[in-house]
Amino acid sequence: MATTAKIMIDGGNPIAAVQDFLRGLMENESIGGVLVPMHLFGKGIPMPTLVTDPKQLSGADPLAPAFPMNSAKLLARLTRGQSGERIAAVMRPCEIRAFVELVKLNQGSLDDVILVGLDCMGAFDNTGYKAFRGDRDPFETTQDFLGRIGNGGADIAQACKACEYPAPENADLVLGLAGADLAGHIPVMASSPRGESLLNGLGLPEAESANGRDKALAAMIETRTANRDEMFERTRAVTGTLTDLSEYLASCVNCYNCRVACPVCYCKECVFNTDVFEHKPWQYMGWAKRKGSLKMPTDTVFYHLTRMAHMSMACVGCGQCSNACPNDIPVMELFRTVAARTQESFDYVPGRSLDEPPPLSVFKEDEFQDAVSHMA
Amino acid sequence: MSHEFEPTILAFVCNWCTFTAADLAGTSRMIQQPNLRMVRMMCTGMVDPKYIVKSLLSGADGVLVSGCHPGDCHYINGNYKARRRVKLLNEILPQFGIEKERVKLTWVGASEGNEFAATVNNFINEIRELGPMEARSMAVI
Amino acid sequence: MSRKIGVYVCHCGSNIAGKVDCREVAEFAGGLKDVAVARDYQFMCSDPGQEMIIRDIREYGLDRVVVASCSPRLHEKTFQQACARAGLNPYLMQHCCIREHCSWTTADPVEATVKARHIVEAAVERVADHQKLYSREVAVLPDVMVVGAGIAGIQAALDIAKSGHKVHLVEKSPSIGGHMAQFDKTFPTLDCAACISTPKMVAVSQEPNINLMTWSEVEEVTGFVGNYTVTVMHKPRYVHEDVCTGCGACLEKCPTKAISEFNEGLGVRKAIYRNSPQAVPNTPVIDGTVCKKITKDKCGVCQKICPTGAIDYDMKETREVFHVGSIVLATGYDAMDPTPLREYGFGKYDEVYTALQFERLNNAVGPTEGRIVMKNGEKPESVAIIHCVGSRDRNYHEYCSRTCCMYALKYDHLIKDKVGHDTKVYNFYIDMRCFGKGYEEFYRRVQEEGVTFIRGRPAEIVEEDGKLVVVGEDTLLGVNVRLPVDMVILCTAMEPRPDAVEVARVFGIAQGQDGFFLEEHPKLGPVSTATDGVFLAGTCQGPKDIPDAVSHASGGAAQALALAAKGTVSISPTTSWINPDVCVGCRVCVGLCAYSAIEFDERRNVAVINEAMCKGCGSCAGYCPSGAAQIKHFNETQIFNEIDGLLGMVPGWLPPEAGGAQPVEIPVERAARPEEARHES
Repeated sequence: MATTAKIMIDGGNPIAAVQDFLRGLMENESIGGVLVPMHLFGKGIPMPTLVTDPKQLSGADPLAPAFPMNSAKLLARLTRGQSGERIAAVMRPCEIRAFVELVKLNQGSLDDVILVGLDCMGAFDNTGYKAFRGDRDPFETTQDFLGRIGNGGADIAQACKACEYPAPENADLVLGLAGADLAGHIPVMASSPRGESLLNGLGLPEAESANGRDKALAAMIETRTANRDEMFERTRAVTGTLTDLSEYLASCVNCYNCRVACPVCYCKECVFNTDVFEHKPWQYMGWAKRKGSLKMPTDTVFYHLTRMAHMSMACVGCGQCSNACPNDIPVMELFRTVAARTQESFDYVPGRSLDEPPPLSVFKEDEFQDAVSHMA
Repeated sequence: MSHEFEPTILAFVCNWCTFTAADLAGTSRMIQQPNLRMVRMMCTGMVDPKYIVKSLLSGADGVLVSGCHPGDCHYINGNYKARRRVKLLNEILPQFGIEKERVKLTWVGASEGNEFAATVNNFINEIRELGPMEARSMAVI
Repeated sequence: MSRKIGVYVCHCGSNIAGKVDCREVAEFAGGLKDVAVARDYQFMCSDPGQEMIIRDIREYGLDRVVVASCSPRLHEKTFQQACARAGLNPYLMQHCCIREHCSWTTADPVEATVKARHIVEAAVERVADHQKLYSREVAVLPDVMVVGAGIAGIQAALDIAKSGHKVHLVEKSPSIGGHMAQFDKTFPTLDCAACISTPKMVAVSQEPNINLMTWSEVEEVTGFVGNYTVTVMHKPRYVHEDVCTGCGACLEKCPTKAISEFNEGLGVRKAIYRNSPQAVPNTPVIDGTVCKKITKDKCGVCQKICPTGAIDYDMKETREVFHVGSIVLATGYDAMDPTPLREYGFGKYDEVYTALQFERLNNAVGPTEGRIVMKNGEKPESVAIIHCVGSRDRNYHEYCSRTCCMYALKYDHLIKDKVGHDTKVYNFYIDMRCFGKGYEEFYRRVQEEGVTFIRGRPAEIVEEDGKLVVVGEDTLLGVNVRLPVDMVILCTAMEPRPDAVEVARVFGIAQGQDGFFLEEHPKLGPVSTATDGVFLAGTCQGPKDIPDAVSHASGGAAQALALAAKGTVSISPTTSWINPDVCVGCRVCVGLCAYSAIEFDERRNVAVINEAMCKGCGSCAGYCPSGAAQIKHFNETQIFNEIDGLLGMVPGWLPPEAGGAQPVEIPVERAARPEEARHES
């Protein structure tokens, strides 16, 4: 799609410009609501909100460096069936990728959704955002953050530092923040026919296609890929044995917050919550006798290894797991490291395409002969 | 080569092929080392990766999954699904020091008593060389 | 909840007791949790052995039983039935093997006893979580559907109809008889194909128990064994069968021509046509794609000519639904198109024919009225027949098509007979496969008629001086051969029909690696499939000649009748079950199921198992991350318990009395096994 338009920025306030853009979208009758992060109270973190009254968009701030939850899960809830309206969802690249994975598993639908992706500069984890914001006005905080981009950046979450997908894929509209002159304009591109028709209807001025975005993205990807590889090395160095892994997970209390926060951990009822893992007293005693001692609760390493088997191939590296862990275990780093290898071995990139089925849902007659041994 | 350690191995075998081959090996009195114990599954496609992980965390030094040859699966294609699942574990477990050689997938057909006995003995020998699973002594599972 | 488990360790004479200390194992079992009674006994499968279990169930109020003896493949049913007699649900019994997998394969008695203890412990742990399960009996509907009315379908239909059951016979061409109706003579007796098959075809049309539907196809099949719902689509014939008298006036007057499929592309037919004057049914059909009236609303001559007014250009496609108990598939084969084998010049040279084309030349109502002549009208002076075209060939089909050697001999004879005994006839063969009754004798007879056999598959056929030259090697003589002939016949491979993949899906069966439908067991189950209630008849299962096709068809019919006669069928309860409270509706299991046995309930957004179609293979359960799908009698809790029992709740070293420092050294034997290549797909 070649259409590129400009969102003009007045008075050096890109947030207001984006809000105007969203209002423009809502004027189109086909859009019944916008899912966008909003500052709802004077304090706290901006939360994804479904807005149907354009006037209330004055609290919207998708550029805020906050990422309390992966809205793919929320969009899934909004699209599991008919809502009667079409929704425009403003999402980060990892949220879109996670949503694509959920759509493949019938947990959501793209039928009545317009995905508005934005180039992602990263975000703080929850504690980091609170510290960065302090007592300041939330919009001021966002402006401060935006000002630091290109000037050494800010201390964003590990997941964001290592994320090599700053540009959204599979979106209908893309806000090209990377490399944009935030005193001038933000380029907005259509990446699909329906994105195209919406954009044409907004009557925005056209932009020249070359605006330094590609260069900015390439630079971001290079830095982040280096961070990512360094993260892999670091993590592998301390998880090379089961004992090391247990140590890495030493503070894990089986609260399962990482699972709840994970957008692609899609089960309604995790198997670890079912009676399969309802162990009896004599079983605990038996296992304790087998080894001499038994850490309680059990099934800590088992849980993480199982989660790796179940969803490492869909892991989009959003980092919500680390964000959610009450005991600061770097779950994201562990999972991304494992996922790098499993995804590569199946040549699978989560969120890349709706036509790519999850690897364990399909099989071929002749493949992976390396997994088969001949010992007779 | 120290013989103080004797491995314990669990095998998840499919009813129609490998389990039958095991019966045949038994009827033919093919002597095997006693370290391998079988769990009867209807098909290798029934083997949940959790069974393999649980076995390794609970005291098994090696896990064998064995079923029908490709194309012969009694349930048409269960063995292809098993192959993908074992492949996945082969990518995850070695990252934590659980050698790929500890989890193996083989095809042993119903008439292959000979191959079953040889597979069992060879696998036991291999695991004996690899040594005990780290998890044996771990209090954390 | 506390269980009362009874454990029985069998000596099996000295088969187990000779290696395993059964008394010790029983004592060990007696000390396990919830075990109320543990005994060892000489022969558990004997009457007194079974009585022991029954008595204990009654006396001790046992609610679970473990028997440790031979392989469950031998006696699981025996002990299940013993429990049932005692009033205990048979699935509350676990049979574990300490013979084939223990006493017979372990050298050291102490090690054998330790292993037996683990095996028994695993069974005790597992059985505690067994649930009561009940086999379902479902009624079998009395009618049978036969799909395909070639000789196999006809035979199956007649066999079934004879029993009094109703048969719905569906055929997609305008008349029945299949490929056999195209033949002239059949080997080795040289019976006229029409003469032997028309009585059967007429019997089919006259048999009141057979509902014959030609020019129809099966569109959809749902249901399960004993209860299939089949939707049949009737293509528009444009001629009313009940009004048409078969007089053939319409055929003479029709001005439009099309290539004749029945004559294998040699010659033409009309837009309104029937395959042969003896076609059953005798009603013609209009090819709606070429008929001028139907496509351009011109002509209409046949309707004007028809004395009974049977022609109706407004007929439309209709659908009909049938409820049958079982289905017999007799969809037949196709002959391979040899065009890709460009070296043989089919389609390039006029006088290169396929075997089926040559049949039509021989057939009295074929394009040459039964005369073997070349396209220029002259008789050939020499004919070469090339065997194994597309068969026994890594590039096309590795298998042997079974019938070609014999029909090649038939052609040898027919050519000598019809064209003249001085006609030179050559067979280029690799091996002569004359395996049936009278076949070898026929081969000898043809050899004595002066036919030449050259062993060697030809490299190519070229045209030189108006003749076709077969270039090859006589491998027995070790000389190259360049043989000029007038006519070449290619024995093309028997292939599955091009739509075999779709047909297999419609009926829920599998294809083998060669594309033919997969039988249940290659040796002992040639007519049944892994899908209960769907049977195979004839060449759709693999290449075969007419006698074998007829036997096969009778076999398939017998199995279909067995179901219909019994009236009920028992479905094993060890099927999958999906917990609707846990299922999140991702539908991955639906795609993984090889039997299409999982349906999706849109209202509740959960997957639901169709218990009658489910085989309990576990593909769904092996995937389901939330554990919503689990196989009854093989659920996760039971397997986890079994794993725990096998590993034992005691450290995994050998006990000191085993002399743990010296394991038995077993020499590694290299077992001979076929190379992996045999299963390349």
